[in-house]
Formats: sequence, structure tokens, C-alpha cells
Amino acid sequence: MSFIYLPYFAFLLRYRRTMLGPLWLLVGPSLFIALVGLLYAEIGATQLAVFIPHLAIGLITWTLINGFIVGSATVFQSSRSQILQGTQSLDGVVAVYVTTTILFFVHQLPIVLIVFLIYGIGLNWVALESVLGLALLVANGVWASYVFGILGARYRDLVEVFNAVMRIAFLATPIIWMPGEGMQGGVMGTFLVYNPLYHFLEIIRAPLLGQSPALISWSVAIGFTAAGSLAAWILKKRYVCLVPFWL
Amino acid sequence: MTNSSKWLIEAKNLSLRVPVITASERALMRNPLRLLADFYFSRTVRSEATLLEGISFTLQPGEQLGLIGANGAGKSTLLRVLAGIYAPSSGKLEVHGSAKGLFDISLGMHSDATGIENIYLRGFQMGLGLTAIRSLIPDVMAFSELDEDIYKPLAAYSTGMRLRLAIGVATMIKPDILLLDEWIGAGDARFNAKVKKRMMSLVKGSRGLVLATHNSVLMKSLCTHGLVLDKGRVVFYGAVDEALEHYKTMELE
Repeated sequence: MSFIYLPYFAFLLRYRRTMLGPLWLLVGPSLFIALVGLLYAEIGATQLAVFIPHLAIGLITWTLINGFIVGSATVFQSSRSQILQGTQSLDGVVAVYVTTTILFFVHQLPIVLIVFLIYGIGLNWVALESVLGLALLVANGVWASYVFGILGARYRDLVEVFNAVMRIAFLATPIIWMPGEGMQGGVMGTFLVYNPLYHFLEIIRAPLLGQSPALISWSVAIGFTAAGSLAAWILKKRYVCLVPFWL
Repeated sequence: MTNSSKWLIEAKNLSLRVPVITASERALMRNPLRLLADFYFSRTVRSEATLLEGISFTLQPGEQLGLIGANGAGKSTLLRVLAGIYAPSSGKLEVHGSAKGLFDISLGMHSDATGIENIYLRGFQMGLGLTAIRSLIPDVMAFSELDEDIYKPLAAYSTGMRLRLAIGVATMIKPDILLLDEWIGAGDARFNAKVKKRMMSLVKGSRGLVLATHNSVLMKSLCTHGLVLDKGRVVFYGAVDEALEHYKTMELE
């Protein structure tokens, strides 16, 4: 049961000392969306009604992806005392971490809802595919926690590497820009198909915007889930007993 | 009871060896190829640090085992192995019942959370359910003597208040086998007596105890058996008086 209550605590305590509390989580992305939206309105490059929903879902989903990747590199270190006291198992730590990350994501979803209401975007049945997409992303969050958690405990600077890589990846993934037809467009357009994070974003975003994701996106996501789970299984089997010593 | 659950703990030839990793080997950016070398060509010969070697003993119900040894002899490490935190590299370890310990009890508290929230937080971390925690709260509150301060964030607590709460919270668990790394004490004499009472009830409530301490008087009063460790090896295992005696002669040499 603890993995239900502990994320709730993490959520409440993170913004305890601030005036707005957990609402801060909504302020940041809202301002970002508003500012980028304003910028693009001036340039007039894209129709706002198409761009803003694209941006909103992209940004919120990116926070979840980023959390799964960057956060997992320190997942075991940040629960060091619980692990060394024997109060939480490594599996327990991962369960709490994944649930906490999802909780923060769910808390930010109202931003998407408000954007959809403002621009009057309706959902059709295709949108349900995005639930499947989200489930796949969460499955990847689980293996990432083990793989990057174990590697991050062993290599202390892994989290720095991830931070640097993810900053670039944010720009290389169509969040603040839109790819044109057939995934082309922009400087990055040609390389987009090789960006796995783009495919994970697509299987969640495209259905919400009324389009079924491309087959390649599903294939990449499923492939990563399989390969990552295998890697997690191997690493866990061989190195999990050493993790407490690396902390 | 089945035959196999006759004893609480059975350790046979237990060893714990850990590959030695230097600080520079922990920095990926110094040499990114290291990742491949370490994980893919993992035949890299590493020197191993032997933390425990060939430990054998049994703990029967109603027995109390004292771990004796200098700092770094492996007492805390052995306790952590018994608690299931470190997995032994070789040998056999069977533990019947829940073996839980009180290690570094003041860690893991959240200073932004109130005292009462910390009781819940630590309770959940220790694997207690909501109803179990609720039923234990009056007891923890009475013990920690925090009264209204229990609703204040921990950041506002004095060291003594924190320690009182930490002890109260850590002793919420009632394990079958109690693992103690040093006896827990608090600053002032009056509260210390209270802590002792609580610790004693925890010891009495458990079916077995493994205690590591440098306090030989305490060990004599609590333990039936003694295990003397030196550099991760057992040098003596027997009645607690003889074990302490053996350790004394070792120290003199």
C-alpha cells in the first residue's frame, strides 16, 4: 500500500514552503505555453488553434518523459536512507518513484484540458489510443528506473549527462515546433524518425489531436519496451545486489 | 511448527565480497567507454573487498546474540545482511520470521513535514498500513512528549525533539527478530530511562535479538550468546561471558 500513500506525501511536501503549493506545477507550464504562443502569434507561422494544443500536450508529456529519464538516474540515491535502513526494498523504491512521477503528470493534465476548452477541440474515439500510448510510456518508465537507477548508482555523473542530453533532446523533438507533412519540416525534420522520444510523444499526442499514430511510432515504442525490459532484467539479475554498496 | 522453523536465523559459511571500485571509475565523463568495458566485457578482473568471511551461527527462539568487535570488524555489515539489505555473496542464510533493525533512525525524516506527517511517512516506509499507523499514533505521541508541537514542521524542532520523535517512530515496528546496531540512547537522564523501558519492551516482545554494541555491561545483561568478529571473520562464538572474555584478551594483545 505504501506506494500509493508515499507519492501523495512527496507531492504534498515538494511545494510545502511555497505560497501556491502544488499549483506551482501548473504556473510554470502555463506561462511557457502562453509565452511561446504569443511569440508564434507575432510571427504568424502557424495557426494558434493548431499549435497551442500541440505545444500543451507536448510540454506536459515531455515533463513525464524527462522525469522518467533524468529522475531515474538518481532514484536509488534519493532513497538511500530508506534502502540502508532496510525499510524499503529496491522494488518498493521504484514503485514509489514511478507512481510519484505519474501523479505529478496527472496534476498537470488540467492545463491540457483548459487548452482544449479554449480552442474547442473535441475528442473522438481515436483519442483512446493515447491511453495505450501512455501505458507503454509508463512501462518504459519502469524499466528505465531499474536500468538508469542501477547505472546512476554506479556512475555518479550519469544524471549530469542525462540533463545535458535532455536539454538538447527537448529542442530536437517537436514540442515548440511542428513537423510538416510526412514527418518532414524544420531543420530536424529529416532526422525525426530516428528520435525515439518523438515516437513516444506521438503515441500519446497524435490520438488526442484526432490522428492515429504512424505504425513506425508504435513499433519503436513497443521495441523499446521489449529491449528495455530485457536490459532491466539482465542488469537487475547481475547488479542489483551491489546497489546498496554503491549508494 | 515445522521442523525447519526451529531456529530463527541459521547462517552457514556466510561471506560477503564486494568488488572494489575507485572514485574515478564512478565518473562516466572521464571515460565514456568505461560503460562498455564495465558492463559488456565484464570479465575485467577486479579486486574484491571481503567484508564478511565464513560466518556461521544459529539463533534459536528466545536467544539473544551479541556481536562483539572493534570498529570495522563487520558488526553493522552482518546486521545489514541479516536484515536483507545486503545479499550474501556465498554461503547459506535462512531467516524465519521478520528480521528488522533500527539503523540510523534519525535519517529519512522530512523536515518540511509536521511531526504527525512524519509518523505516517515513516510508518508507510516501514511497511505499516494506514490503520496500523493510526492505532500507534497515541503511543508515539505519548512517548515523544511533543504535545502540540507534533503539528509543527520538523524544521522547527530542537535536536532533542527530533530524536524523541525518531525513537518513537522507529520503535513502531514489532519484528520477530530485532536487530540493533548500538543501543539507542537520548541526552537527558529522565528521558533515557523512558527510552530504555521502551527498548526493553521491544526486546521482550521479539523472539530473538541480535545486538551490536561496545557496551559490555549492557551486552551481558541482554544477551545469551556472543559472536566475536575480527576483520569480517568469526574468532569466537559461544556464551556471552566467554565471548566478552575472549574479546578482552584479544584487545590486550
